Amino acid sequence: MRALALLTVILTGILLCFGTQDMPDWGDPNSPASVHVSPRYIEKTLEETATPNVVTSVLADYRGYDTLGETTVIFTAGVSCILVLRKRRRKQT
Amino acid sequence: MIDFILSKYNYWIYIILMMIGFYAMIGKKNLIKKIIGINIFQTAIILFFVSTASKRGGTLPIIEHAHGHAAQSVHAAAYINPLPHVLMLTAIVVMVSTLGVALAIVMNIYRRYDTLEEDEILKLRR
Amino acid sequence: MITQSPVLVVVIPLIAAFLTLLLGWWKKGLCYPIVLLALALSFLSSFQTLHTVITSGPISYHLGGWPPPWGIEYAVDHLNAFVLVIVSFVSLVVAVFSKRSVEQELPDKIVYFYCILLLQVTGLLGIVVTGDMFNLYVFLEIASLAGYALIAIGEDGAPFASFNYVIFGTIGACFYLLGVGYLYISTGSLNMADLSQMLPDLYQSKVVLVAFAFFMVGVSLKMALFPLHVWLPDAYTYAPSTVSALLAPLMTKVGAYVMIRVLFTVFKPHFSIELIPATAILGWMAAGAILFGAIMALAQVDLKRMLTYILVSEVGYIALGVGLANRNGLTGAILHILNDSFMMLALFLVVGAIMYRYGKREIPQLRYLHRKMPFTMAAFVIAALSVIGIPPTCGFFSKWYLILGAIDANQWVFVAVLLISSLLNVVLFFRVIEHAYLEPEEVHAGGGSELAIATEEAPFSMLMPILVAAAGIMVFGVLSGKIISTVIQFAVPGYF
Repeated sequence: MRALALLTVILTGILLCFGTQDMPDWGDPNSPASVHVSPRYIEKTLEETATPNVVTSVLADYRGYDTLGETTVIFTAGVSCILVLRKRRRKQT
Repeated sequence: MIDFILSKYNYWIYIILMMIGFYAMIGKKNLIKKIIGINIFQTAIILFFVSTASKRGGTLPIIEHAHGHAAQSVHAAAYINPLPHVLMLTAIVVMVSTLGVALAIVMNIYRRYDTLEEDEILKLRR
Repeated sequence: MITQSPVLVVVIPLIAAFLTLLLGWWKKGLCYPIVLLALALSFLSSFQTLHTVITSGPISYHLGGWPPPWGIEYAVDHLNAFVLVIVSFVSLVVAVFSKRSVEQELPDKIVYFYCILLLQVTGLLGIVVTGDMFNLYVFLEIASLAGYALIAIGEDGAPFASFNYVIFGTIGACFYLLGVGYLYISTGSLNMADLSQMLPDLYQSKVVLVAFAFFMVGVSLKMALFPLHVWLPDAYTYAPSTVSALLAPLMTKVGAYVMIRVLFTVFKPHFSIELIPATAILGWMAAGAILFGAIMALAQVDLKRMLTYILVSEVGYIALGVGLANRNGLTGAILHILNDSFMMLALFLVVGAIMYRYGKREIPQLRYLHRKMPFTMAAFVIAALSVIGIPPTCGFFSKWYLILGAIDANQWVFVAVLLISSLLNVVLFFRVIEHAYLEPEEVHAGGGSELAIATEEAPFSMLMPILVAAAGIMVFGVLSGKIISTVIQFAVPGYF
């Protein structure tokens, strides 16, 4: 069992190392991720949302629905813990 | 070759961390060690995302001198990419929630079987 | 209101989950009506969405008013709307069933149970309707967390089975997130339509290839495709009856929907079929799933465990349809999403009713059930005929399209696998039907039938959903042609 786990881990690691060959270098300002979607967030945040903190404006305005999902995740986890941990009261027979 | 390794060293770090977490998740028998493995695994993914956000020479994505200088133009290359940080705020919350529910389930298992080793639980369950 | 229907489908159960918790603390009896009302409204919204898509084409709803790719988009086309209606209707039927069963199995956790049930349905609906990759991950985690808790409150072996599911489910979701990250680092976008336009230039990149591999493994884990199905039999056997009836038809089908989206919308069919033999590998794993599920089901004594192995086999059918990669195969796969949901719903609801009345579900102990629960067993027989694939039940039509697709692709091995599995299913269900219907009567010394077996049918709130599911199987079988020509024909990607 441990041998199978070790083999899976090594294979996954080799696959990941294989995939890093075409990745952009660390800190490259011309990588695709820095050029396509996010410049608009930085440049237009003051006129569209009047918030200087760009992370806040993306979190609460441009992608606010993901934040709603995130609070739902916390709520789900909380009620799940209650559901799982609640002890059954002894039935009086 | 050395240049290839050095210029992408953030990726090698996260791969090593992720594989340690992955091995702990599937190779260990103790339930708590498996949960710690989940945590390490997800932390490595968060590290990967955040490391894609950095730009050489960029600063934090908070626009300086915001109020009062309305007509100043903002260059995107001066600030680092904010989008992965936003995604990872959500992912950290998800990670903590999963940890909470997993620990609650382990508490339930401990109440029932009085042990936390997977092979002993499987024997008790037969 | 009509233009907001894609969002109302998800938001109504979400708000109702909060309301259930608050009002349930005040009065416990209010939970059940709120759950029914919320799921009924959600079903109406999803039906309205399907109607809009059929009459005026795909919908694109921008959340918050921001255009994609800067904002989140809900992109509803025929495939989406179809699965949305199935998920909301099945959850409504299970909610009607749940009242008596939950009162018997989980008497002190009713309020929290209904809250988590609504959150689970919210998560599943959110996965289906979204057009943004990261939003899908968030709702996948909502559905997963709710599922872990719902399974862990079951019978004796349930927490350990749920912990196993936690490990596998987390690996699946994290691999999906890793795939999203790799696609983001190479394109910069998270929107499905935007990615499908930007990716064809990058097909030679190794990053995209590794992202595809991680997507496939992650979604296969969530979908329980052989050989990554190991969490499913334990988890769905020990879960409470309502939870099995909710999760078994839905969670795997939503996983299959995500696989179709990633294979054919985000990565174009050219990539998935020709550049990488992904569909070929998928076809072979699916064939393994079909045979493995049928053979393992033969060895089970517990009726519910047998049904979970049949579920593994059914997931294999859908994956086989996707793996054949031609029009008939995909039509069969999408039609099978509908058919299998109703078949599994009927089967698990019947087992839930048997557990409610008798508390045991080993096959040799099901004697005389055709006298004690006639309508329930009749529904079971209809569902069994559909799994085997006998016309005019719906199972026949999806198997027919799958066989046609296999013949079109010249894969005679798959045709043989489909026919062998039908034979194995006949043997499987005949065992159960034999015990329930054909056991010889015991003649007592006093003469006459001393055992006047009274009809202890399931209560009406449990019987009605079972009959609705069985009726659905027959109705969808008869209406298969119409369903294909109005919805499924446009849901299959235009490449085929």
